[in-house]
Amino acid sequence: MATNTMTAGEVRRARSPVRSKLMDAASRWAFMAPAAIILAAMLAYPIIYTVEISFARFDLMTFSAVEFVGWENYAHVFDDYRFWSSMRVTLIYLAFALPIQIVLGFGIAYLINALWRGRGAVRALFIIPMVVAPVVAGGIWRMILDPLWGIMNWVAGLFGVDGLDWFGDPTLAMASIIIIDTWRWTPFVILIATAALLALPRDIFEAAEIDGANWWSMLWSITLPLLVPIIAATFVVRWLGAVKMFDIALAATYGGPGGATNVINLFIYEEAFRSLRFAESAAMAVIVLVLTMVLTGIFLIGTRRLEDRY
Amino acid sequence: MKQLFGAVSSLSRRALMVSASAAVIATMTGMVAQAEGLGTPDKPVEVRMIANEAFANQWQTLMVPEFNKHYPNVKVTIDGVPYVELLAKSMLDATGPSPTYDIIIADDPWVPQLASVGALLDLRSEEVKGWTSEDFDWDDFNVAPLAASEWDGVQYGVPVRSNMLMMFVNKSLYEKAGVPVPTPKLTWDEFLEQAPKLVQDTNGDGKVDAWAIDTYFVREPLTPTIWQTIMNSNGGSLLDENGKPAFNNEIGVAALETHKKLLEFAPTGAISHGFSESLQAFRQGMVATHINWGSVFKGSAIDAATTTLTPEQVGIQVLPMGSKSAGAHRGIWSGAVSAKSENPEAAWAVLQWLSSKEGEKWHSANLGVFPARKSTLAAEPSEPWLVPVFDALQQAYDAAGEGKMWRIRHPRSDAAQQVLADEHSRFIAGQVSAEEALNVAAEKIEKILK
Amino acid sequence: MTSLALSGGTRKSRFWPRVRIAAGLLACVIFLFPVFWMVLSSFKAQRDIFTVPPTLFFTPTLQHYFEYMQRADISRRMINTIIVAAGSGIISIVAGGMAGYALARIRLRGAGTIGVLILLSRGVPPIALAVPMFLVARSLGVTDQHITLILAYCTFLIPYVMWLMRGFFLALPKELEESAMIDGCSRMGAFFKIIVPISMPGILSTLIFSMILAWEELLFALVLTNRYASTIPVAIAGIAGDTVNGANWGALTAVGTLTVLPVVVFALLVQKWLIQGLADGATKG
Repeated sequence: MATNTMTAGEVRRARSPVRSKLMDAASRWAFMAPAAIILAAMLAYPIIYTVEISFARFDLMTFSAVEFVGWENYAHVFDDYRFWSSMRVTLIYLAFALPIQIVLGFGIAYLINALWRGRGAVRALFIIPMVVAPVVAGGIWRMILDPLWGIMNWVAGLFGVDGLDWFGDPTLAMASIIIIDTWRWTPFVILIATAALLALPRDIFEAAEIDGANWWSMLWSITLPLLVPIIAATFVVRWLGAVKMFDIALAATYGGPGGATNVINLFIYEEAFRSLRFAESAAMAVIVLVLTMVLTGIFLIGTRRLEDRY
Repeated sequence: MKQLFGAVSSLSRRALMVSASAAVIATMTGMVAQAEGLGTPDKPVEVRMIANEAFANQWQTLMVPEFNKHYPNVKVTIDGVPYVELLAKSMLDATGPSPTYDIIIADDPWVPQLASVGALLDLRSEEVKGWTSEDFDWDDFNVAPLAASEWDGVQYGVPVRSNMLMMFVNKSLYEKAGVPVPTPKLTWDEFLEQAPKLVQDTNGDGKVDAWAIDTYFVREPLTPTIWQTIMNSNGGSLLDENGKPAFNNEIGVAALETHKKLLEFAPTGAISHGFSESLQAFRQGMVATHINWGSVFKGSAIDAATTTLTPEQVGIQVLPMGSKSAGAHRGIWSGAVSAKSENPEAAWAVLQWLSSKEGEKWHSANLGVFPARKSTLAAEPSEPWLVPVFDALQQAYDAAGEGKMWRIRHPRSDAAQQVLADEHSRFIAGQVSAEEALNVAAEKIEKILK
Repeated sequence: MTSLALSGGTRKSRFWPRVRIAAGLLACVIFLFPVFWMVLSSFKAQRDIFTVPPTLFFTPTLQHYFEYMQRADISRRMINTIIVAAGSGIISIVAGGMAGYALARIRLRGAGTIGVLILLSRGVPPIALAVPMFLVARSLGVTDQHITLILAYCTFLIPYVMWLMRGFFLALPKELEESAMIDGCSRMGAFFKIIVPISMPGILSTLIFSMILAWEELLFALVLTNRYASTIPVAIAGIAGDTVNGANWGALTAVGTLTVLPVVVFALLVQKWLIQGLADGATKG
């Protein structure tokens, strides 16, 4: 008769393969569980409620849906020229603001990452614009960009550029929104980029320098590929945050002139809180959600490909 | 799907109705059990109020103690909410099964909305009459302010902070330009004639640094009130007797174009000016006239920390006359009692005291709030600087009462006002003509008001 | 990218680092100018804030700081904001960090989908969520309380944290925890004892970011609180939206300055740990 020699661990494992498999799965899922539970508990009802009232007539007396009306609210939304104008405005804003913020953020992070005594202080100081309340930020920038009272125009006047109506001209108003948003959010990119740059393993760079690589080729063949995951993550986070922007537009330009800076979330806010049209604003929220999901999905697939490549 | 949806909705509706009736029964039993609705020293009554953050703290620290001298057993707690969220929060609270707030302070166009969801108590009902003192004198109120809290024939509130659009005048700029200082008889035609002269260079450095006017131009719900005032003073109105839009006629179009014309004589960048920016322009002495809410008078003429102007320099009056009457616009804050309040008698006691003859006198003298009663306005104000203000206020009330110079009175008033704001802004920005803006607005508002 | 060029070699090789530092400082000055303007305005009387042209010389006043401390209940609101920001920041870092790790390293069927769903929940405009959240909170009787606000903030912080931490964790070599697990360490143990210390710069940066987002959040605070749990952004909105006397810009900039200070202090303190964590991580790296 042959005896089986097994270690204690193997004996244990052989005895209850199912149990250990379950425990293993449990330990894996334990990582995901807290986040999933909190979010499911807090968001399930609100999302269902929003979808429900987007398909119904909304009764203010009970703050709930009372009558199923199918796609009627959506039809109202699509019929409203203000919705399309708002989407267009949002797209323009995103197309300019996002790339500028990512590039500027990583660029400045590189600059301030230089090894010197004040590095920590400078990094901490750069956080400040993020913390200034949007209303205050909008107000301060209004003061800076105001044609009458503003420093910006005084400086521009020194260069011979006169009479910039930052809030009256639609293009300049959009530019001012992008400026203020960039001012507030580039520090976020800088913050994350700094951490990413700090975490870059030094040995690879030292090896490359010994091999004679110069600054430019190191940037493209080492730094950027290593940073791709974090650039992609920052982009996605920033994109999701930018879509929701409305307080800056409200504080700086009130959505004007004539709706030229009325980004979609500001429009939804106005419809919900000012006009008390909760059903239509819920329909718009659902539309924005679907669009955001689709576009984010595209981004994610794209970044997954990039990550795999590097 | 539709049936399931309907079933779920009707289930939840029924559940809501059951719990609502249960709550009502419980409340009524509670009310009967409470013999002393105004509280006793060992069992005080608590009343909660939701109000504009702008004056909530002032009321909590100054008004409530004064009120407590007359009603020592009523504890009043006031929560301040920023203006833009106040309506939504009031609605959210009032439509719940047991609302937190007993007293709701509502801005001018909100009472129909709140009343239509059954949130407000009828203040002239038999029950409330029993709590109202004999010398309260409802007729002493000026018509315009009182009408702000009336809807569908029922009086739901009392005016607690009155405000009207007024025209402020910088007399020294007028003198510098050699133009006669305006009187209430000034017409819009005369004003537009004088305006070019009021755009001047006051310190001789070759650059214009003073303009004729600054006011609301930016995209915001209160901006159309300027246009509406011009239109009202020329005999136009927002809605006709059937409640249909009546503003997209020649009078409305002309008024809109007048509002835009003012930009020619306004400071650089005025197209994006709203309440704050135009106010600052006036307080820095940069514009000869300024159209804004009367409540800013103190900070513009008297308070040296906030203005560069002196009391002698600043005049206040109604807006220029159109073909029909002077111009005004009503912006009254009214106090209303929640229909589901557990302490309606105490809640009404607060509002009643505040808007009574003595209460209003105290309120006006100590907190500088504008009164709504004829008796208070006719009497000598406590501060000498209030004299021209009271005069202008009475003129404004008269004009507003006659010409119905206020925003749309309808449960969906705010939605309509937002449409007006959008179209008005498009016209000011030059994206559409005045006719088109008003026609689009009329079409949308008609749908909203149906 | 850093070491050789900055070891102090020849004069030429000291030039470019100096340019780099100077450029960084210039960017810093540009970015901080509006903040400087805000702080300056907070000491000006209202009439001096809107002069044409803007002035640097004026008689300073502390009035705005004192006046609004009581009027807008700043001290209580500041405490509330700190509680809510800290609470939601910490919960989000723990839950989100663990979830991000799961996405980056653990093969789990369906976890990827959940992760994407969590991220996509950020696509819902917050206005749409505020009202139903209030209705639920009211029916549970938890309006105007800290915990409600903390949990509400977690809903938008966790997705961000999760996605950012995933990015950080992906950059780490796979061998790190595998060697520990072969030695008998549990997965959770390996995570907390090995991965977390090495990822400290990323974790701390994300924590700072989360707390800042929670610090300045306005919409949920407006809808879900009345007075006891009210936060600073609500006070600011109230001052800014003063439709009776006009926005008091002196008070607004004063409260704005007060709001910025705690976070700057916090970030300065955390910077020390960031550098410390980096030093440890580099030697282990």
